[in-house]
Amino acid sequence: MATQTPQASYVPENIVYNSKKITFIRSSMSAITGSAAGILGLTGYYGFIFYGITSVFTSFLIWAVKTQAKPSLYFRTGSDVWTEGVFGGLFSYVLFWTLLYGIVH
Amino acid sequence: MSYQVSSSPTESQALYLDPAIRDWVLIPIMVVMVLVGVFRDQVTVLLSGSGPKKPVLKAIRETRVLVRGATLRSYGNHIPPSSFYSRKSYLANAYEKGYYLKNPIAMNQTVNPMDPQGMEMMMEGMKKNFAMIIPQTVIMGWVNFFFSGFVLIKMPFPLTLRFKSMLQRGVETSDMDVTWVSSLSWYFLNLFGLRSIFSLLLGEDNAADGMRDMTAMPQMGASATGQPQNYHKLHLAEKENLELTPHAWELEDVEYRLLAQYGKRPRISITETNERNEGSSSVSEYKGKGRKKGGK
Repeated sequence: MATQTPQASYVPENIVYNSKKITFIRSSMSAITGSAAGILGLTGYYGFIFYGITSVFTSFLIWAVKTQAKPSLYFRTGSDVWTEGVFGGLFSYVLFWTLLYGIVH
Repeated sequence: MSYQVSSSPTESQALYLDPAIRDWVLIPIMVVMVLVGVFRDQVTVLLSGSGPKKPVLKAIRETRVLVRGATLRSYGNHIPPSSFYSRKSYLANAYEKGYYLKNPIAMNQTVNPMDPQGMEMMMEGMKKNFAMIIPQTVIMGWVNFFFSGFVLIKMPFPLTLRFKSMLQRGVETSDMDVTWVSSLSWYFLNLFGLRSIFSLLLGEDNAADGMRDMTAMPQMGASATGQPQNYHKLHLAEKENLELTPHAWELEDVEYRLLAQYGKRPRISITETNERNEGSSSVSEYKGKGRKKGGK
């Protein structure tokens, strides 16, 4: 029984390792950008928009530098690079944002 | 402390807070939560290091052979058909005859729920979970007791009025902005926000995660009341699963793929593959195509 040209099969441990790397990068960035937002004095929706912009920027950096524009080699789908870990980073972002905002303003 | 509260609802209220609030409340609560988290993680490592008693070899074999069956099912396509079938028949036979069971005599009897080793493991897990929840509640009570009655910090984002009663507990003014919050809400904010910091500091899978404990509590309650598993039934179920597993060797047409990669043959799709298998005349067709393209 001949098979077709196979889809790539993924090694689960490698995928988990890559996801952990991305989570690490995002948490660090969230803390830093949260502090930046607090110092800048962003309030309300501007703060969340800022988080959106910086997370897109972070995704772009991951895509360009880490995966060298070939995310499908490292993840199940290429778009995982852009969406993974964004929600977890949101909480640290809010924490540091509130902290620095309260201290500075 | 000086207050300057504007009463118009459109401007955001500006309160000038004593900087002593910042020094003695904001930072200490955060520092305490971080330290307690690190402490809990280390304590968990200590508690589990001295560890459960070494399980018996047969008990380990019982569980691991199930994993072996599952591995065969999921990765069976990587090995040639003969190996796959020999493994399959051996495992199916072993499951049925109960080679890997801890005590083969008890195969058809009901499981003793007071099995000492199973109980010990359950108790360990429960003890660990409770040890985690206690610091959470202690800190919450501490924060409530010492740091109530004043607003702590202004949240930079707008919130609805429904949150007011939760976030401003202890402060009785009715028209202060919801953005000014009490220390309890700072505690909650820390609870959520420090999770990722813990994963940064302590590496993955750390035990300082309060949230994970809170979500794991209901699940643990449901499973701890169950009996230790009846492995014989599990083995039989695994045997059924194995018998149902088809095998499609991924390397079956590897010769063609290799040749296609080096350009000696054009890449083939599924339909052409089927045609090729059915008629031998098409083989010469492909050879002709390859030659016409020119030497490589």
